[in-house]
Amino acid sequence: MKNIFLLLALASFNFFACQEEISVTEQLPHFQAVAKDENAGDWTPILPITVYLIAPDDVQSVAYQAELASIKQMQANLTVEQREIIKFWDGGGSLRWNQILRELVAKNNLPPAPNADNTYPAPDANNPFNYPIFPFANPPYTCRSFSYFCAAQYEALQKAWHFKFLYNRASPAMNDSGIEALMGNTNLPSYPSEEGVMASVAEKALKLLFPADSAKIYQYATDQRNAAIWSGKASPSDVAAGNSIGNAVCAEFISRAKTDGMKTAGGNPTLWQALADSSIAKGQIPWTSLESPARPPMLPFYGGIKCWFMTSDQMFAVRPAPPYPTNSPEMAAQVAEVKKYAKEITRERLAIVHKWADGVGTYTPPGHWNDIAAEYLIDAAWSEVRTARALAYLNIAIHDAGVACWETKFYYFNPRPTNMDAEIKTSTGIPNFPAYTSGHSTFSAAGANVLGYLFPTQAAYFDNEALQASNSRLYGGIHYRQDCVEGLEHGKRVSNFTIDFAKADGAN
Amino acid sequence: MKTVFTPLFFLLLGMQVHAQTMTDGLLLPKKVLCTGLAYGHDSWNEYWEGGLKRTNGNIGTVTTQSVGLEGAYGLDDKVNILYGLPYVWTQASAGTLAGQSDFQDLTLALKYLALDQAIGTSAIRLHALLAGSFPITDYTPDFLPMSIGMGSKNLSLRGIFSLDLKHGFYTDLSAAYIWRSNVEIDRTSYFYDGKLINSNQVDIANRSDFHLAVGYRNDKLQANIFYNPSFTLGGDDIRRQDMPFVANNLDMQRVGALCRYHFTRNFTGWEINASASYVVAGRNVGQSTAFMLGLFYAFAI
Repeated sequence: MKNIFLLLALASFNFFACQEEISVTEQLPHFQAVAKDENAGDWTPILPITVYLIAPDDVQSVAYQAELASIKQMQANLTVEQREIIKFWDGGGSLRWNQILRELVAKNNLPPAPNADNTYPAPDANNPFNYPIFPFANPPYTCRSFSYFCAAQYEALQKAWHFKFLYNRASPAMNDSGIEALMGNTNLPSYPSEEGVMASVAEKALKLLFPADSAKIYQYATDQRNAAIWSGKASPSDVAAGNSIGNAVCAEFISRAKTDGMKTAGGNPTLWQALADSSIAKGQIPWTSLESPARPPMLPFYGGIKCWFMTSDQMFAVRPAPPYPTNSPEMAAQVAEVKKYAKEITRERLAIVHKWADGVGTYTPPGHWNDIAAEYLIDAAWSEVRTARALAYLNIAIHDAGVACWETKFYYFNPRPTNMDAEIKTSTGIPNFPAYTSGHSTFSAAGANVLGYLFPTQAAYFDNEALQASNSRLYGGIHYRQDCVEGLEHGKRVSNFTIDFAKADGAN
Repeated sequence: MKTVFTPLFFLLLGMQVHAQTMTDGLLLPKKVLCTGLAYGHDSWNEYWEGGLKRTNGNIGTVTTQSVGLEGAYGLDDKVNILYGLPYVWTQASAGTLAGQSDFQDLTLALKYLALDQAIGTSAIRLHALLAGSFPITDYTPDFLPMSIGMGSKNLSLRGIFSLDLKHGFYTDLSAAYIWRSNVEIDRTSYFYDGKLINSNQVDIANRSDFHLAVGYRNDKLQANIFYNPSFTLGGDDIRRQDMPFVANNLDMQRVGALCRYHFTRNFTGWEINASASYVVAGRNVGQSTAFMLGLFYAFAI
């Protein structure tokens, strides 16, 4: 009997020894960029924007010397908390903001709960704190947010790079040996400061996209600017110059966003009915919401919004061919295949379904591909502007893929497997929009295509992940094989427009 | 036989039976084994989303059923070893989510009589119970409310105070602390308590569990009513219209009644037991009604 107590005691020891410390976010280590990318100001811009920036004060000027003196004084009195803030931003602003944006998405990715009368309330941008909180960061909303955010960051950094190397004012840490370099990349000219640029773009863009989180966003932006100054990487006037560039560039992107068609992407009850009617008129079984109570489709006219690197004619030209008619034997076979996968799910396939589910309360598939990209971008240690370029292209491609996918979904209005056979039970939630083609497949193929272009030695890995993401929807019982196969192909075709642009932008 | 688990799915969303209330102040004598099967049925159609009570048309009524192999063995007159292993299956009456089924967690426990004191015609006893449980299959805890369990390894320590009065009236009062290991899920990020966590490991908070039973018992019959509050010592709320998550703060107060009948006057022979219970208050749990029916046989070896 004593032995049994001993055994239990040992078991309990082992039990606690197994506990791992969970690291909350991916670590962004201190880094020195592998290249400065002096010519980034000449790379082809995404939007034709002109900004101006007056020359900085001379480094010998009284004003600038006073700035250096104040930095020295701040460095002499840095608190532990201030050092933590410096460390937080030292791993690269583009990657840090990308992480913050993923968190904002996960926080806001909750569909409104139904009203007592079985209708659904709509989030209101003018009243973001009232339930339902604005926004509902669903996949279309998210890929658009990422694309604007990352494109504006990239464009503003490009402009900053132009002026950095035009005016060539060294950083405080380089100008004054009494100032320590507490962040990486202080060898770059610091006027205008990239931290000021990124903080201003983030503040301006994210306050519109995630208004209920303005206070948190403001705090992050303030910290980032302070980190640049406290670390000897930029002077207050460098940061102010960065702010003006960031604000000017972001304003242009915001005015594009105001007229890109998002405002009418939700449609209205008449238009929703027209979608179903048109499908019935074509002799098809239409998609219907499988939620209870039935929920209006998710942004059914998102397919009409403006793409970044594709005209609508180009989008129509690459649209997938029609799915099998709903009354065809081929469709019956597709349904039967889904049913078989749903019924015979294995633990391995369930793990794949859940790995890629990216549903309610998560950062969505676009966020997932940013998460994947971040690991490679951390290792690449590119300049801030080149990292921003990668994230901009990744998210533009995913956005354009999302728009094209939504256009396809609502053009064909194809029913979900469970619409066709109510006995099909699913291993993840059924998204509230038509089946053909799979959004996960389209997003993932676009993401993998761009990442494969940026990191050619890893291309096969990215393609494989995209294929797995695509298959996960079939395994989970929520998509037919045709949705997955066509979605992957479609995502690839659409993202090629982005890659064509990237190949010719002068950055290679 | 005098010691059985009451495999109450005190678990809300189909949580495990690990703390199955090894809560009474009784022991089997040395070299007696009592073992059998218990069937459990737990269902709810209302749940608390944080503090908000609601129904959900996308799940309807969630039912968790189980058949468990359970038992106890007298190592000596002061120490019993207890075990339990349920097979669990879930289903939702509405929506499209697939029910899950598998063997869940193996529970092993040692119960030790620390004090046995007669006071006039009454008796006071103190027991200590050390229990461990762990999943024996690779079920996913990340598909609540359809998951069959929480996926953690648990270790719990319980103290049981018993008072038996002259005519068979008694009370058992116990308190347990349950340490829970991290849980591994199939995805590499999740949102918890306002933060995006980039990991497939979930740190779930420990729990406490209390059990008060008042009733009557003699050699053949035992009947009681009980109150069983249990709490997660941390965790976050289910957000509005979000899915439940393994790291949620699960609190519940359950009341119920238990009856058990032993067909012989000695320790060997057949025994049946049954219980019913209802969650009167909770947070991030289903307001479930649970039934349990068990058939056991005890014999000396």
